[in-house]
Amino acid sequence: MSKFIQLHLLTSYAPSNLNRDDLGRPKTARMGGSERLRVSSQSLKRNWRVSDLFEQSLGENIGTRTKRLGTQVFNQLTELGTAEKQAKAWAIEIAGVFGKGKKDSLDIEQLAHISPEEMQAVTSLATTLATENRGPDKEELALLRRNASAVDIALFGRMLASSPEFNCEAACQVAHAISVHGVAVEEDYFTAVDDLNNADSDLGAAHIGEAAFAAALFYSYVCIDKELLVNNLGGDLELANKAIAALVEAAVKVSPKGKQNSFASRAYASFVLAEKGDQQPRSLSVAFLKPISGENQAEDAVQVLQRQADNFDKVYGACADGRYSVNATTGEGSFEQLKTFIAD
Amino acid sequence: MEYLVFRLYGPLASWGEAAVGGDRPSGLTPTRSAVLGMIAAGLGIKRENTERLNALRLSIGVAIKSYSTGSLVRDYHTAQVPSQDKKRRFYTRKDELSIAKEKLNTVLSSRDYRSDGYWVVAIWQQPDKAFSLAEIKKGLVKPAFTPYLGRKACPLAAPLFPQFIESDLKSALDCEFPPILQTDEQDKRWLGIGSYVTYLWQGQADALGCYEGVQSRNVWDEPISRMPWQFGMRQEHQLTMVEE
Repeated sequence: MSKFIQLHLLTSYAPSNLNRDDLGRPKTARMGGSERLRVSSQSLKRNWRVSDLFEQSLGENIGTRTKRLGTQVFNQLTELGTAEKQAKAWAIEIAGVFGKGKKDSLDIEQLAHISPEEMQAVTSLATTLATENRGPDKEELALLRRNASAVDIALFGRMLASSPEFNCEAACQVAHAISVHGVAVEEDYFTAVDDLNNADSDLGAAHIGEAAFAAALFYSYVCIDKELLVNNLGGDLELANKAIAALVEAAVKVSPKGKQNSFASRAYASFVLAEKGDQQPRSLSVAFLKPISGENQAEDAVQVLQRQADNFDKVYGACADGRYSVNATTGEGSFEQLKTFIAD
Repeated sequence: MEYLVFRLYGPLASWGEAAVGGDRPSGLTPTRSAVLGMIAAGLGIKRENTERLNALRLSIGVAIKSYSTGSLVRDYHTAQVPSQDKKRRFYTRKDELSIAKEKLNTVLSSRDYRSDGYWVVAIWQQPDKAFSLAEIKKGLVKPAFTPYLGRKACPLAAPLFPQFIESDLKSALDCEFPPILQTDEQDKRWLGIGSYVTYLWQGQADALGCYEGVQSRNVWDEPISRMPWQFGMRQEHQLTMVEE
């Protein structure tokens, strides 16, 4: 098992405002002397963690999205001979583990994603309750979401100033995503007319505003300490591999949601380079210190990124033991193989 | 004396200073606590292992040469947290954020970073020898925990390339590293490295040699304890000069 897994991603976004500062403008940073577009590490992680995709890919098979888990449990319990009143109370308790319960209802308020493993655990808990004719205890309920909860905390960490004994060191490091080229943030001056204003006396717009935006090809970098991840998960290597696969899937496919309705800015990574090894991890951002300025932005970016990895190797000795890359601009490599390479 | 010298570069770095509430400023140069923390990560010392952290602190001296402090990036940071609800347990971050919007509170902070800063660090053995420089070097080359530049979101963007130098402190800090880009000229151009360099060191004011203009000040970055979060005072000497 390699200790570190490093991911280098290039993702291109059309004009958008993915992650905003206090003025509502896209976040920026200076690199190599020029202004770059930036998406903060926190923004990336939040969007990965709350995505359905992240939760779904933790399960082996496709799970169920439902608000009606309570009803299913209730039916199961009554079929097994539990009295209706008790069945209702227990079903609400079980469903409550997956979301906030609706008032006077078996349903929960939001659609929850329930993995096949979780569904199986729910069914077997309901059977136990019916045969033993008792309600679920706290621990049994907590066990239902054990994996999802453990993976979330093992990867992204937890800091509780009030009870440090529950702290957990995050096993994954996520850099701020930075554009590979210089950007000038643009302003969209917009007006909205009042449809009921028949222009008798006032010809002005009902609203005027400004929205800042920019387009960018981002370089992002993720480093997973697999040894720490496995430790955080109590030595469960299989679950650690699932967690890594879920993280990779989210990093490649989930976009930050800022101003999504105005810009429909959803993108998959165009290029991913994965590295495995025990050597000191390092990002490859220096490849873009000199901003990419040509017309073949994506191709050039891939080329300098790969050259940087080679050059680091030449000067410092091999910086990784194994590499695999997928390139969606030329259609080389496959995402499935990338996941296999990483989880191996 | 024998020095272990390594360099720090990343597009973003943040060197913690006294921080109150939502203001999280960054120093211009790595603090002694930041350097010790990175070495501890390499050696695999856990945050709660006060004893070994203390032993490490007493084992080494730290000096910095700052080629570029980079420019300031101020990050407006928001985080949503649910109101406390004793009746409901949240299993994941997704659970936390799926509650009704009016029950989510936003915590604001302003986080400072230095972008494109470039520093060289020299460390030496103190009389207390719980950790040897050789051991530390090993930990930097194949670290036990992920090293980072002050914040976890600030990865290293070049190998630390730790090397042993047998010399005086100034020559150790002046030792050459392979350029980050193809040549030293390119590094200067793209990292905005000027002709002024600043040396910062602990110990004797004349440890760098006989120079005019050495300033000494008290800094609070000697990590005493993580529980409670406590730093001690130490004296640091500083000299800025033009490098030919």
